[in-house]
Amino acid sequence: MLKDIIKKEIVETITSAKFVFTFLLCAALILLSVYTGLSSYKADQKEYSTAVGLNKRNLESQANYQSLAGLGTKINRPPQVLGAIASGVNEAVGRVASVNVAYDPNLIDSKYESNPVFSVFGALDLTYIVKIVLSLFAILFTYDAIVGEKERGTLKLMLSNKIPRDKLILGKVIGGFISLLIPLIIPLILSLLIIMVYPGIALAGADWIRLLLMFVMFFLYLSVFFTLGILVSSRTNKSSTSFLVLLFIWVTFVTVIPKLSIVLAARLNPIPSVHEITAKKDAFLQQIQGGAQKKVMDWIKENTPKTKEDQATFQDKMKKFLEDYQQDATSQIDANNAALERDYQLKKNSQVRLAVNMSRISPASALTFSTMSLARTGLDEHERFLASIRAYKPVWTKWANAKMMRNLNFGLGTTPETKVVLDDMPQHTFEPETLGPSLARTIPDFGLMVFLIIIFFAGAYASFLKYDVR
Amino acid sequence: MLEAINLTKTYEDGQLALDHLNLKVEPGEIFCMFGANGAGKTTTINLFLNFIPPTSGTALIEGIDVAKEPLHSKEFVSFVSENVTLYGNFTAYQNIDFFTKLAGKRNLTKADYARALESVGLQKDAFDLRTKTYSKGMRQKLGLAIAVIKGAPNILLDEPTSGLDPKSGQEFLNLLIKMRDEGNSVFMSTHDIFRAKLIADRVGFMKKGKLVMLKTRADLEGEDLTELYIQYMEEREA
Repeated sequence: MLKDIIKKEIVETITSAKFVFTFLLCAALILLSVYTGLSSYKADQKEYSTAVGLNKRNLESQANYQSLAGLGTKINRPPQVLGAIASGVNEAVGRVASVNVAYDPNLIDSKYESNPVFSVFGALDLTYIVKIVLSLFAILFTYDAIVGEKERGTLKLMLSNKIPRDKLILGKVIGGFISLLIPLIIPLILSLLIIMVYPGIALAGADWIRLLLMFVMFFLYLSVFFTLGILVSSRTNKSSTSFLVLLFIWVTFVTVIPKLSIVLAARLNPIPSVHEITAKKDAFLQQIQGGAQKKVMDWIKENTPKTKEDQATFQDKMKKFLEDYQQDATSQIDANNAALERDYQLKKNSQVRLAVNMSRISPASALTFSTMSLARTGLDEHERFLASIRAYKPVWTKWANAKMMRNLNFGLGTTPETKVVLDDMPQHTFEPETLGPSLARTIPDFGLMVFLIIIFFAGAYASFLKYDVR
Repeated sequence: MLEAINLTKTYEDGQLALDHLNLKVEPGEIFCMFGANGAGKTTTINLFLNFIPPTSGTALIEGIDVAKEPLHSKEFVSFVSENVTLYGNFTAYQNIDFFTKLAGKRNLTKADYARALESVGLQKDAFDLRTKTYSKGMRQKLGLAIAVIKGAPNILLDEPTSGLDPKSGQEFLNLLIKMRDEGNSVFMSTHDIFRAKLIADRVGFMKKGKLVMLKTRADLEGEDLTELYIQYMEEREA
């Protein structure tokens, strides 16, 4: 009997015009998003390689270490292949950071900066399609699951037979869910094929696990809206009321809660502006620079040689003094900036955590955060990358200062052209997050979705047992 | 056999929908229940089908208390509603197949379905059409075919002839007579006094949940049922 109800649900759905429309639209959107995501990744990869090569050539072409220290080196953010599925914050955050002796490094030149029109509508990745389009389809498939049967009179007709209500609701849920999965699974399988055959795309073992887990999150997310649809449908007496209630909940979950959480977090936990921090950094820099001139003059006054024979020794001593002084000043600036930055980041992270946790009551936010973590395109990965650049900055400036000071020549009036050698330049390294921490971060989102599915299903089940079929 | 013993239903809002109904529909009998909207006709059917629990009293199908053994009692009853829409994307075959399986009959063939569909007067060329293309009369016939193929000895019909054209209405009544003649108990709630008079073995008038009049076919000989109904209702009102 259960089998008959499941079969009826599937056949009834897949022979309907709404299924055909949904299937075609899903297939087109999913395949298009995966294809364009992969194309975009390939383009980013090429851009990244070009930028890295260009930076190296640029550094090598510098006339001397002084100009090299001033120019600094550029660190580019490597693209993530799973960004093709969940672009996360990748498009919004900068792709390159300048590391030089003067300023604190920061990632700039995001895709949205380059072309702000993209920021208006956001990326059309698979996560977006599931979050917005497919969740609406889940509602479309379920809003009349129970109440529609009542309106058609088929519910009475079914229940005039020897069929327990629990079997009926179970059959409807299973059959309905299978019907919803068909338009999703087939394009997803085709997407996997595209990923496998797309030239130049090679997913590592852990990437496949990440991808499959992302698909699991998609299914869970759609199950949330599916069970919600059944619940609302089993608590209303008109399908139009059911649809309106579901639409209201959908808007609240998908748009209101995520946006409101950010606004609320900013109100509840305000942080100083970036300009304020920059002004403090600049003030300290000016303080150091102001003292430097006097200190150098004093040193020269004290150490100027009496005879010409002592000039060479004097130059060596002065280079040593300047290098030590420069290193000391840079260390002080770096330490001050790091302290300011640490304090700012702590406050900012606290605000972000508050916003993230508040918005997590929405399954749409849970889906966004979990897929971003799994794709390594989330806020955490961005912070990790930025932290790696900030950790690299003192190492690089120490090397650059040493090179610059050791190659100064005071006797000739001009700085001699010294060929820049990069062999011993410290390299920036960044290890993308391993699977374990990414998984750990998705556990609350996974838990929330499973919790909502259980609650909604239990609610629908209990409601249907008492449902007024008249 | 269908039997109501002091069957009473009061809804949560305090409305008395059925007031101590005592009624028996014997095998081979067509019983037609009249009454204005909200008189308690559909409530009676809903109680027999256990869609709502009785406040007091008992509804029995073949001697089985429907409130105590709802699933068992449903083996012995078929139901045809006022507006049978069924599954519009399904053909007549698919609809009858689904509901027959729900009724617990699993070994029937397409030929059995065809016989049932033919027996209610549905044209052969309509069997494979999606029922959303059906007229109301065709849908009602299909609903009756579903009831016929279940083979239950009791049939509950909730205003089945409303909205049917004269020809379809007459065909429908002929089917009910055939079922009665096969020994089934038929309970039909209706507003259609003219058609009911042609087939009813007994009629009842309901008002505000009470069965206010009961007449047999013999009682009705030479009576104008419409006039009697109006007159009876007005008297009671006064």
